[in-house]
Amino acid sequence: MNGLRLGRELQALLFTLPAMVPLTVFWLFPIGYVFYLSLTSWDFMSEDKPFVGLDNYIALLQNPALYDSLKVTLLFVLGNVLPTLAGGLALAVLLNRKMRVGGAYRALLFSPWVTPTVAVSIVWSWIFEPEAGLANAVLRLFGAEGVGWLSDPDWALVGILLVTIWKGIGWAMVFYLVALRNVPGDILEAASIDGAGASRKFWQITLPLISPTTFFLTVVLVISSLQAYDQINIMTQGGPAGSTRTLLYLYYQSAFEAFNIGEASAVAVTLVAGCALLSLVSFTLSRKSVHY
Amino acid sequence: MSQSYGIKRVLMHVLLIVLCAVMAFPFYWMVTSGLKTNDEIWQTPPALWPAVPLWSNFVDAWQSANFERYILNSVTVACAIALIQVVNSGMMAYALTHMPFRLKGPLTAIVLVSYMVPTTAVYLPGYVVLSKLHLLDSYAGLILSNSVSVFSIFLIRQAFLQVSHELVEAGRIDGASHLRILWTIIVPLTRASFAVLVLITFIEQYNNYFWPMLITKNPDLQLVSAGLRSFFVEGGAYGLKWPLIMAASAFTIAPLLLLFLFTQKTIMQSVNFSAGVNKG
Repeated sequence: MNGLRLGRELQALLFTLPAMVPLTVFWLFPIGYVFYLSLTSWDFMSEDKPFVGLDNYIALLQNPALYDSLKVTLLFVLGNVLPTLAGGLALAVLLNRKMRVGGAYRALLFSPWVTPTVAVSIVWSWIFEPEAGLANAVLRLFGAEGVGWLSDPDWALVGILLVTIWKGIGWAMVFYLVALRNVPGDILEAASIDGAGASRKFWQITLPLISPTTFFLTVVLVISSLQAYDQINIMTQGGPAGSTRTLLYLYYQSAFEAFNIGEASAVAVTLVAGCALLSLVSFTLSRKSVHY
Repeated sequence: MSQSYGIKRVLMHVLLIVLCAVMAFPFYWMVTSGLKTNDEIWQTPPALWPAVPLWSNFVDAWQSANFERYILNSVTVACAIALIQVVNSGMMAYALTHMPFRLKGPLTAIVLVSYMVPTTAVYLPGYVVLSKLHLLDSYAGLILSNSVSVFSIFLIRQAFLQVSHELVEAGRIDGASHLRILWTIIVPLTRASFAVLVLITFIEQYNNYFWPMLITKNPDLQLVSAGLRSFFVEGGAYGLKWPLIMAASAFTIAPLLLLFLFTQKTIMQSVNFSAGVNKG
């Protein structure tokens, strides 16, 4: 390698340093470190970290809290992703036409997305207040009885899902609006000439053509659902009776409340592996089955 | 024909207005609840507007905790992070797109892989790293630990890929350094992507709660979400002072809604960019 070539290599590396140094220190190293920690037994305070092999994973697999939290996580993911996708698409279909005030509708529907989750979760805690809260007042207006939104184990997850969906639905809508605008008009026109009705055109032409967007949104929403923390922390802290304790919340509690670092790290590794697997599957699938 | 079309149009607007009203109602409810007296707020059925709006609640809430400090902390930290990310994402993306070097492939792969790792999973080891570096409970820790974003790098890389390499070559022949080409030729051409980066990063960091809360114990360093939560739990004593809590939530959310009002086009455009990021 001659001097000129070497200089070029060094200069390029220099350009990557401002990003690569923090990425390594705060991101890549911790990923490796959490694998190591999951093989030790540590209480956060003591000097040494005894190596225990796979004990933490075995303890985790025998912990009934894991299976409860996996169930909650699955319900949370499905309960967030499906309504957000369906609602976002429905709103986009409604708004996908020339309207003088279309921009105002879009902005209003999107606005919850920019607000801090903590602040809006506090607002929703008040809306869900069982005695004087708005949610139960509306239910009573329709003759139904109020429910203990955040205190009843059957309803707490629903309450948290409502906030999460409320925050994300306008965001999904904007993605779908872009996708709908990219559906070629002449294909739809040709279908009309061939006698296809509006609903047939939607199910058989539009929906398959926007499937890349659905796919992208599904992956992003699943990953963000797996990481949901703020609203759970504000509204229920994983309760009542563990009914809103997701995998991530379990991780947080064993790490920062119980100081069981080994087992917490094992949960983290599970989470990382789950997301990696999901990304891998989605990557392979998107090459094969999504219409572009 | 035209009449039924007109009716359909009216019905659609009615539907949309109802939907928008439902979506915006929590914001309205927050503000009106913040204007009620403590007795009035417990009334059933709840009043849509207070008999006498108590604007002093907003002043009381503002004074009952150090909100000035919290908001200032959030804005400062978020601005610093956005600024650093402009620089390091710009340089990283430039190296990955317009500078040939041997490690380009491996580095791109590393960045791509870290994009798939859930942030929250590395909070525990990240905390240990930060404590080893003596960066817990400091502005430096808050800023540095968030100073790189894989999303930002991809966003800018995507934009730089659209810039013709001949521009860079021409600059080189004229004797310009890579840094000069980056900041005087490429960045101005891709400023739309940088605007998206700054806005999205600012919003994300202003709203950030979990990680900053973990790494700061000093109340003077709390960001606004953590400060609001402390007020909710301690000062507000879990629901004894709902009007004040609602008023405090309102002025926490207000800066972001205002920012959104003025930059909604750019923020909603970010969608096009982030869809592109995922394809890259």
